[in-house]
Amino acid sequence: MATASSNIKGFYRQKKKESGIRKPTSTKSDKSSLLHAATLGSDFTPPSARVPHGSPDLKDDYDKNEDVLRQFDMNSAYGPCLGMSRLARWERAQRLGLNPPKEIEGLLKGKEVRSECLWDGCI
Amino acid sequence: MTAMEIDTEKNIQRKHSTYQSLDKTFDIQNEIYRGQQYSQIYFARLHTMRTLLYSLVNHWKPHVPVCTVLGLEEGKECIIVGTLFKHMQLKPCVLDEYSKERSAVPLVKPHNFMHPDDHLVLEDESGRVKLGGTVLSPSTYVTGGVVALHGKETTAGDFLVLDVFEAGLAPQIEPQLKSREDKYVVFISGVSVGSSTSNPLQFQLLVDHITGHLGDEQEQGIAAEIVHVVFAGNSVEIPLGLLNGQNLASKDQSRVSEAVQVLDILLSQIAAGVSVDIMPGSNDPANFALPQQPLNRCLFPGSRTFNTFNSCTNPHCFELDGVRFLGTSGQNIDDLKKYSEARDELEFMERTLKWRHLAPTAPNTLGCYPFTDRDPFLIESCPHVYFVGNQDKYGTRILEGSEGQMVRLISIPKFCNTGLAVVLNLRNLECHTLSFGAQPSTLKTFNDA
Repeated sequence: MATASSNIKGFYRQKKKESGIRKPTSTKSDKSSLLHAATLGSDFTPPSARVPHGSPDLKDDYDKNEDVLRQFDMNSAYGPCLGMSRLARWERAQRLGLNPPKEIEGLLKGKEVRSECLWDGCI
Repeated sequence: MTAMEIDTEKNIQRKHSTYQSLDKTFDIQNEIYRGQQYSQIYFARLHTMRTLLYSLVNHWKPHVPVCTVLGLEEGKECIIVGTLFKHMQLKPCVLDEYSKERSAVPLVKPHNFMHPDDHLVLEDESGRVKLGGTVLSPSTYVTGGVVALHGKETTAGDFLVLDVFEAGLAPQIEPQLKSREDKYVVFISGVSVGSSTSNPLQFQLLVDHITGHLGDEQEQGIAAEIVHVVFAGNSVEIPLGLLNGQNLASKDQSRVSEAVQVLDILLSQIAAGVSVDIMPGSNDPANFALPQQPLNRCLFPGSRTFNTFNSCTNPHCFELDGVRFLGTSGQNIDDLKKYSEARDELEFMERTLKWRHLAPTAPNTLGCYPFTDRDPFLIESCPHVYFVGNQDKYGTRILEGSEGQMVRLISIPKFCNTGLAVVLNLRNLECHTLSFGAQPSTLKTFNDA
């Protein structure tokens, strides 16, 4: 969602994201702890992998929630993500005792987020 | 309960037992296909079994560390848990048709694809490792089973197996009602109505015996103790020549449905007197992939009017007077026969119970629905009776588990070839066969102990 911003950063429609290499750190702040939890056990995910090619990406700048959910999708500890809705995958992880972060469930049930994984419709 | 009328005033009442179907997990009506692949069902299988095995290996080898495949260190003894994959060079591959060299590999399948060079590989989500050593014999195992292995990594990069641990029989629930009277369950499979090898007289004799239309009072008294009948697959055989994908001529259309109509008539005779379950098999008009869905009720316009008639899934799980039954129409064991070897069908059945999985070769070589959230073939509760239909010969024995579980294993032979039905006594789980023969001059039925 492109936020209406009057400063110079809003002028540029695309922003370069931080590097995709995220090493789990021991210190946890509130947003990074969410990402940390989502990426726990996963391998390197290049930034290009998080943006699906093929479908017209009308939102060039996806929001923080979508980023967190994409990290959840890419985390191999919770199994393959293709072919399942994100909530179903979260519930499966819960049932198998993998302790997926509760915040992800909150995001999926509450806010307006994509219910399907990032590869949905692209593969 | 139905009263059966005979010539004298006395009515013989059929015994009754409580029936509960536990087929919900095999129902795919609520499943939606969203493009998932089989990795999902393997993930569910590995995680469920691994959690279970991790809790059990503590008692098996408490001092050996557990690690993942990627965490293996050379020379260090540890325990790894993963899914087995058996590399088989004779296993038919769809790409063989397109291979450039016209090799000597025939496109016609042999009965068994084993080869002395087959080797096992253990796989988890972090990686896979080739298994070496003599402890694990590839001829016993198949792709898809989950086991725990104790061993160490060699310099060659293989994992030398020192010991293997299977989950063993699942916990078994004690049947609450210990019946003190004899009540019988009849199993039949491979009736194959409509096939050239089936004898309609044999099947009619079976139906007449079950419904008490045969024999004297004593015979009828025995029949009155039958409380349930199970048809374990392949009840019809539709002429294969008609099923070639071409449009059927009008005269052929009636031939296709003839077999099912005859089956319906006979089933309704049984259903009128006793509860009957019919499971689909590999030749029946049901879906191909496991779990096969119940045969559509519109195929049985006569039988379905009875509330004793149950069209069930394959595999089928139910409880009768608290005794838990689990069984299939044979596809799971037939597939194991192609990719591994054992003394007899009962040994294959024993392995599936010890691996806690009804059909470990699904989805690798056995068609299976791509479940995402669960693997319905995992056996969570050990049954008291485990049956497999459409086998070549009759066999039965009691299998004992390490925690006092007792399972009656039954291999049901094909009725069209052998004329045998299997009868189980609910009171003591003893089994015997019923043999039906139709000689041109004399008609007789006799019980074999």
